[in-house]
Amino acid sequence: MEISKTLRGALLGLATFVAGLAVTAAEAQTIRMWTFLNPAGNAPREKALAEMIRKFESANPGVKISVEPQVWDQMTPKFLAAHRAGNAPDIVWVVTDLLGDALKTGSLADLGELFVNKWPAAARDERKDGYWSRCAQGNRVHCLFHSRNYYGVIYRTDFLKEAGVDPAKLSTWPAFIEAAKKLTVKDASGNVTRWGFGQQFSEDRADSQMMTSLMLSRQGDLFDAKGGAKWANATGAEALKLQTDMVTVHGVTPRQAVTWSAEDLYEQFAAGRIAMFTGAVVRISTMQAKVGSDNVGFMIWPGIDGKPHSPAVMAGWAVGVWSGGKNKAMAGKFLEYMSTGESDKLWVEVGGQLPGAPSTLASMKAFTDLPANAYLTTAALGVAKYGWIPSVEYGVGGYRQALNKAAQDVIVGNVDPMAALVAAEKRFNQQNNR
Amino acid sequence: MTAPVSRLKIGRTARAALTGLLCLLVLANLLPLVWGVLTSIKGDADLFRFPPTFFGFTPTLEHYERVIASGFLGSMGATVFYAAVTVTATLALALPAAYAFDRFEFPFRQTLFMLVVASIPLSLGAAALLIPNYVYFVQIGLTNTWFVLPLIYTAHQLPMAIWIVKGVIEGIPRELDEAAIVDGGTHADILRHVMLPLSRPALGAAGVLAFVGTWNEFVAGSVMVDAPDLKPVQPMIYSFIGFFGREWGPLTASATLAILPILIAFAFLGRHIVSGLTKGAVKG
Amino acid sequence: MRDTRTPFLLFAPAFALLGFVLLSPVVYAGWFSLQRIEYGAPTGYAGLLNFRRLFDGETLGATFGRTALHTGLSVVLTIAIALALAVWIDRLRPRVGFIVQTIVIVPWIVSTVVATLLFRWVFVNDIGIAAYLIGTVTGGVSGLLTEPGGAMGLLVVVSVWKRIGYAVIVLLAGLKSIPDELEEAARIDGASGWQVFRRITLPLLKTPLLLTAVVLTLSNINTVETPLILTGGGPRDATRVLAIDVYERAFAIFDLGSATALALVMFAGNILLVLAYVKLSRWRA
Repeated sequence: MEISKTLRGALLGLATFVAGLAVTAAEAQTIRMWTFLNPAGNAPREKALAEMIRKFESANPGVKISVEPQVWDQMTPKFLAAHRAGNAPDIVWVVTDLLGDALKTGSLADLGELFVNKWPAAARDERKDGYWSRCAQGNRVHCLFHSRNYYGVIYRTDFLKEAGVDPAKLSTWPAFIEAAKKLTVKDASGNVTRWGFGQQFSEDRADSQMMTSLMLSRQGDLFDAKGGAKWANATGAEALKLQTDMVTVHGVTPRQAVTWSAEDLYEQFAAGRIAMFTGAVVRISTMQAKVGSDNVGFMIWPGIDGKPHSPAVMAGWAVGVWSGGKNKAMAGKFLEYMSTGESDKLWVEVGGQLPGAPSTLASMKAFTDLPANAYLTTAALGVAKYGWIPSVEYGVGGYRQALNKAAQDVIVGNVDPMAALVAAEKRFNQQNNR
Repeated sequence: MTAPVSRLKIGRTARAALTGLLCLLVLANLLPLVWGVLTSIKGDADLFRFPPTFFGFTPTLEHYERVIASGFLGSMGATVFYAAVTVTATLALALPAAYAFDRFEFPFRQTLFMLVVASIPLSLGAAALLIPNYVYFVQIGLTNTWFVLPLIYTAHQLPMAIWIVKGVIEGIPRELDEAAIVDGGTHADILRHVMLPLSRPALGAAGVLAFVGTWNEFVAGSVMVDAPDLKPVQPMIYSFIGFFGREWGPLTASATLAILPILIAFAFLGRHIVSGLTKGAVKG
Repeated sequence: MRDTRTPFLLFAPAFALLGFVLLSPVVYAGWFSLQRIEYGAPTGYAGLLNFRRLFDGETLGATFGRTALHTGLSVVLTIAIALALAVWIDRLRPRVGFIVQTIVIVPWIVSTVVATLLFRWVFVNDIGIAAYLIGTVTGGVSGLLTEPGGAMGLLVVVSVWKRIGYAVIVLLAGLKSIPDELEEAARIDGASGWQVFRRITLPLLKTPLLLTAVVLTLSNINTVETPLILTGGGPRDATRVLAIDVYERAFAIFDLGSATALALVMFAGNILLVLAYVKLSRWRA
């Protein structure tokens, strides 16, 4: 009989539903995570994260990873406030600039205890890079870096080829300037239609500039042991002059650079208006979607004093487990899963970003050999050998803005580089109470 | 209907200048809008094609698909709810308060009204106190609830609404409510049958302001709630100016979707302002 | 009407909400600003330490001056243009008036961030459509933003552009509520158009004008998005206003103590300014 069949089906369905509810009630464990990625979205990195969550949830029935997407630049201050108020999420992504604050408040649990100590020594050792040391305190590890970022020069492969410039040979500044001049194109009436080297000196969305690479090469750091600025010296003045000469002497960077934020550079590049620029490796996949995947290349900063390269600033997101959470074990389990070889591969292949473990990249030779993916290998080399992250012992907020202001002083106000740096150093030290 | 100012004697040069200014304003207002809408239907490769053009690209809905996939329609629903509650609550609280301030004499009337006026800065400048405000709301346990945003938004919009409505009640002849009292009406009757219909331009204006203010609020919306289904639209739009840069495609697509409800609200509430209902009403 | 109970009952709900949502967090912020703030959390009474930090840099005076200049110019220009527009729209047939009004409010109904970004892209950036078209006529790119005066000028233009819609709406609501008889009677008595506007219309617009002035002043002082996105405060601090200073202290340097202190000082200034406006206009509730 049809009716009883339907009824029986319905009853069965209801029973399953009720049973499901009971199971959910008994085992449901929700892990809250704050990140700037929205797994419901379909950007490459968002898809990678969604895939990890899906796999983790199916391997761990009854566990739900609930992502609460946050505005990226408010997320860390908000987390610190939430930690204080006792209402923070189980997993949080902390921005590099505020990692020191997060560590000092004790808001991040020791991952060693949760899972890292159980890893084979080799797995731990291969991850011991600059990022690792910022998360490690003695025997404890408080975070693992994801969404790793490295600054250098992004360039249009096709424009360089057109002008006969080989990026591999741009390992000194004179060679780089020569190439930038060749890449600067003017129309019949003398107006520049394409600039050789894009830079940005607005205080809005300020990134690290080329001058920091020179200073890092000679000084090893941008700050002294107490976190005071170490800029107003001969090296700093030389670096700032080289940087602003690109505008005032060589004419390869436009004067509008003083009004450009980092975002403007990516848009100018997408419009084909600049051939090379100071950029972040995490943005390359997006640029490839705009100007063609084989047209975007990446190089490490040219070197000085006979060295092949100068170090660059690294950044990223330190992912940790909230020390005050009730689900630390399960949160740690998901964080560990996010760092397995399987997930690391997803980050690289689907998300287009640097892996957490060097061995991941080595195991993906077929992928990294593609010309469009060569930037990953370059950036991984940069991270391993030419990278710098500010110490977590002191905050360095506002340093990029202060240095960009110094560049504005030189370009717009004709201020002497040393005087501009003295002012920048004073401003930074005052702001940070040093 | 010849309005008085039409008799204003304006010189020819002044008129030309005025027309020029007006054209400039129309251009300044519509060009970014048109450009934004066009951007929302351009594929990634066409976004920054140089020289920029209005035509010559294949329109695509990919950005809208992405915006919708990220849960934008849900956010719009939540925000419509927040805005509806806020507008209703604001007007419902503002009308009696404005009536009280305009029609009654009581001790400290001026001082109390100045307190209302002085709280306007608190609603307009709240962004600066983001973190202390957040900590305060966490500690009283209101964050991440469905009512925290309408509560905050109503408080934000209330001072201005009281002032606007009071401004119009001033112009409503007192004889009307006195007549109602003589007829045995209560204050509730006066509010409903005299003030409510006669202050419609003001309620329309206050309603539009409250709606737009709520719809475009970003700071409280981004910190006071965490659950994705409680998120209002502005933080969603802002998420496309994320850590990975300004993604103009989804950014303009979500912004385009987001102005539709405002235009609809404006068509409903804004008509009250434009139609000049009081003129007829007072005349009659 | 002399009655204390009824008005109290009528405005009590509104006051309860304002006190709870707007005033009490400020009291908390006041306490917060007197604490020593370490890593974003209060750790003990610090007296006026955070307030004293505001005067460390010697730049506060200049920043204050720029804020006053930007706000003053923006408010005066916005009200002047909005008043002319509102009077004009008031004369139009309702349907046409509605269309014009809708065009006028466009920048205001789009969120500040998106509106400023679009304005900058279309009109300022050399890869924007308008800037490109102008560039092809004049040859070369506009150097407006690279010159201190030009940058401040542009900031004022964008601030006016963004908020005209708001001012038009409020002034128009005021105009619409003025009974026609008053103006007609004056005209029959032989007053000219300008006299009617000056003697009848303008005084009756006192409340909406005051309201507009207050809101425009406050939003210009407190908005960080417009200057931050348009110029980043540059070049050479030419457009660095107080709101940027607060934002930088809070979110770039994470010095929440002095950021809260400065925000409170700005609040106090805002409130005094509002009360001064009301006093000067001899406005009475």
